[in-house]
Amino acid sequence: MPPARVLQGEKTRLRPLREDDLPLIERWFNTPEVRHWLHQSDRPDATLDDVRRHFWAPVEEGRTAAWLMETSDGTPIGVLRLLDIDPHHRRAELAVSIGESAYWDSGFGTDAVRQSLQFAFEDLALRRVDLITDADNERAARCYEKCGFVREGLLRERRLRFGKPIDMLVMGILREEWADA
Amino acid sequence: MISESILQGEKVRLRPVEEHDLPHFVRWLADPEMSRWLERLGKPPTLEDEYEWWHEKRSDPDNVLWAIDTLDGRLVGTTELRLTLRAERAELGVAIHDKTQWGKGLGTDAVRLVVDYAFEELGLNRVELTTDEQNARAIRCYEKVGFSREGLLRQHRLLDGEFGNTVVMSILKDEWEPLGRGDDD
Repeated sequence: MPPARVLQGEKTRLRPLREDDLPLIERWFNTPEVRHWLHQSDRPDATLDDVRRHFWAPVEEGRTAAWLMETSDGTPIGVLRLLDIDPHHRRAELAVSIGESAYWDSGFGTDAVRQSLQFAFEDLALRRVDLITDADNERAARCYEKCGFVREGLLRERRLRFGKPIDMLVMGILREEWADA
Repeated sequence: MISESILQGEKVRLRPVEEHDLPHFVRWLADPEMSRWLERLGKPPTLEDEYEWWHEKRSDPDNVLWAIDTLDGRLVGTTELRLTLRAERAELGVAIHDKTQWGKGLGTDAVRLVVDYAFEELGLNRVELTTDEQNARAIRCYEKVGFSREGLLRQHRLLDGEFGNTVVMSILKDEWEPLGRGDDD
């Protein structure tokens, strides 16, 4: 698998994640407004060791490609990953978190997702990229639809948010849909 | 984690997988008609692969694995739950490896036992699974147990050189009638 490389978008620059970025991710993932939307929101607070184990280990093993999202002046604002890259079925799962909430709703996510899709379909020659997001995360769903993702299913009560079951949306984009967009 | 719970159904009995079961899996999985439906490998496993698989499952605290026997003690397949406890859910997998035993309702009976265990013993809220859209026999089995279709993942899986769709199904605790209740009539 070709390693992650720098991806330059219109608003965002994605550069391959480094081990010394992990404390920043630890901070973001323990910020309440960010944590609200995380699949693992009901875990205890993330420690640096948790981040290293769940986040960094798959990158080192080559199953995940991960980038730090930066603004054009180099401010780190979030993290984007292609998870469980499967060269046999030629698919991967996309996960994006903008950890600095001041940068939400400003098109950074959309720009970053578009760059990562280009990497997935061209550099990795994948056929399909999918993702799962909270069904009530309308900001996220809008961003993904703008990038060409299609709603493929509604998973009932798939996770807990602060103890309460919530539905999740599964979305996918195929190579030809991306090429036509 | 290998399950120590023995679950007794109407047609099958679920018990821990033992080392001497593994050669049977290798023999069955050498048949492409069987192994084509399995997610985990692109080719039939060797005995070494099966040992590795078994050891991995045994040491994984988020996995519960059973062997499926008929009531007269004949090994026919395996079933497992992959737990995500923080979300109170599990993913179910089941395979009747011995294809002379297909079409007899053994898989359906095993799935019922595992779903009941997930809700009544483990206290989970959701059991989910994915299966190939073309695997009509499996989908019928899951619907009979009470699973609903929730989504279709397009071109999700490479099978026989073509990309096929994957069906996502689930059942919630509220939808489950516990076994051993209301069965008297």
